[in-house]
Amino acid sequence: MKRTAVLFVMSLVALLLVGSCRDDASPGNSNETSYTIATIVKLDGIAWFNRMREGVERFSEETGHKCFLLGPPQADAALQVQIIEDMIAQGVDAICVVPFAVEALEPVLRKARDQGIVVVAHEASNQVNTDAIIEPFDNHAYGAHLMDHLARFMGTDGKYAAFVGSLTSKSHNEWIDGAIARQKDRYPKMVLATDRIEEYDNQNMAYEKTKELIKAYPDLEGIQGSASTTAAGAGLAVEERGLQGKVMVVGSGLVSQCRQYLESDSVKLISFWDPADAGYVMNKIAVMLLNKQPLAEGMDMGVTGYEKLRRDAEKPNLFYGSAWVDVTKENMDAYDF
Amino acid sequence: MRKLLGQHEFYLAMILTVLVIAIGLANPAFLTRANLFDLCKSSTVMGLFALGVLIVLTSGGIDISFAAIGAFSMYVTSRLLLAVDFQGSVWVAFLLASLIGLALGLFNAVSINVLRLPTLIVTLGSASVFRGFLLAFIGTSIVNRLPAGMIAFSRRTLFEQTLATGETIGLSFSFVLYLLAIVAVAFVLRYTLLGRGIYALGGNAEAAERVGFNLRRVQFFIYGFVGLLSGVAGLVHACTMRNANPFDLVGTELSVIAAVVLGGASITGGRGTVLGAVLGVFLIVVINNSLILLGIPSYWQKVATGGVIIASVAITAIRKDGVRHAAASWR
Repeated sequence: MKRTAVLFVMSLVALLLVGSCRDDASPGNSNETSYTIATIVKLDGIAWFNRMREGVERFSEETGHKCFLLGPPQADAALQVQIIEDMIAQGVDAICVVPFAVEALEPVLRKARDQGIVVVAHEASNQVNTDAIIEPFDNHAYGAHLMDHLARFMGTDGKYAAFVGSLTSKSHNEWIDGAIARQKDRYPKMVLATDRIEEYDNQNMAYEKTKELIKAYPDLEGIQGSASTTAAGAGLAVEERGLQGKVMVVGSGLVSQCRQYLESDSVKLISFWDPADAGYVMNKIAVMLLNKQPLAEGMDMGVTGYEKLRRDAEKPNLFYGSAWVDVTKENMDAYDF
Repeated sequence: MRKLLGQHEFYLAMILTVLVIAIGLANPAFLTRANLFDLCKSSTVMGLFALGVLIVLTSGGIDISFAAIGAFSMYVTSRLLLAVDFQGSVWVAFLLASLIGLALGLFNAVSINVLRLPTLIVTLGSASVFRGFLLAFIGTSIVNRLPAGMIAFSRRTLFEQTLATGETIGLSFSFVLYLLAIVAVAFVLRYTLLGRGIYALGGNAEAAERVGFNLRRVQFFIYGFVGLLSGVAGLVHACTMRNANPFDLVGTELSVIAAVVLGGASITGGRGTVLGAVLGVFLIVVINNSLILLGIPSYWQKVATGGVIIASVAITAIRKDGVRHAAASWR
């Protein structure tokens, strides 16, 4: 009986030793080892980040690095911080992050970098504690191009409203900044009806707030969305009210989410960048940084839209691609996500 | 008259009336039929959950798993019906969702009764279990194409009307379900022995047992019924949004419980009415859906929401102090 117990304890110890040896080996000491890279997004489960997961997993398969994607169940900065804390505790090699609120993540990202973890951010051009930031395009230009479409649908005059996920979502607000600047510059007869509206990356909220907007501003003619949930939520409200052709909805979104509203004409145009490509490129940059390869102006990531990265003039770790895609009822069948 | 003045619901109705008049004066668009229909629709899902919460709170328990049950029922129902390419009536979907909800609710009831654990702990745990199971084994991706019956249900309205502006307005048919649930719960709580049992259990469990209530049976009813209502609420939510998102609903627990408590239900049990809960929900919905109409800037909206809730609770609490001794409110 006693012998069995001793044997049992010894085998447990042996197991632990084996386990810890493997742990020691995995965080890459040489360039050959496989890295563990966590991609942490604003919100798990929505079509947008599910598509990003495909890109992350594709990178993982092609390169053999251990890459995975995680996100909180609700778009909430505190929950995102918690997940990043967990990743630091697990000792990952790199963290790719799509922040819900840039400022709220600074302390935890600094902690990660202090521990030697490489940080790559996306949709966060003002993130300070990060090794590199990769943006699919220049945010002001993207917002301005959506405004060009909105103005075209609205006949260059009338009231419009602008949505953001949160007033702290940097990219969303830059898109809207760009859009408003473009409107003031080229479409002086258009008017912004009210302050930008928050919808917390929540389709239900976008729907409710659109209904309210329609009541508060009966002469509203256009809505520009930012979060991937706005176009579908606003489209539902427009369709329910039978306001197709009166209230024009444009915004970021995915075909799978917006198909029924594009079909019914309640959403006029959606624009997106392929989140899978963004996920892929983020992870690739993380590996380059882990391997101490320099990032340079004009480098080619081997992905459409990211063939020639442009380096920001003021922020040397900020890179832009040129990766937006516009989708209307006519060409939506070309996209299956 | 004195009886009326002593009632919590009376004060709540007063607050609501003042609020409605004030918002209506600030923006007449608030007092339109279109807005009334919108408010009714917006309060449907929250209201269905609140009726369940009311029953649990009245019985002296607390249930935090209802939102998880709602999400579970609606997502599993949608996926199942899609998997068999179901083309039939939406009522099959409702039946399925309520049965799933009922089963999960009974799981709570069994845990509470057999393991003799506090309801808070059981439902806190089961909420995690249901949600974890849903995300791990059933799926995390949003269903964007619901079965045709559910879409048809979401389009179905009463009193449909086309305004001069070309807008179509109507009362969502799902509101009828809410009305039916209100009547059913009010009937059970008011006129049945079971309802008396629920109040008795919340007032004093031991005394209730001594006068002959079968508390086990009462609790099975309570948690089963809450599950069933949550299943229905979940499905209504999916129909309204025209998608089934497994991440939806969870996170709304506290505002539903707050609405019910605002409606006068005692968190320690024994007290609560359907009218109060319905008014509480409506008050919160009115606040949440009027801030753009009032032109309040986005950051201030949260401040306004919290402020009105605290003010409403304070007004009803001060009233209670007037009626009873001040010390009573410390209980």
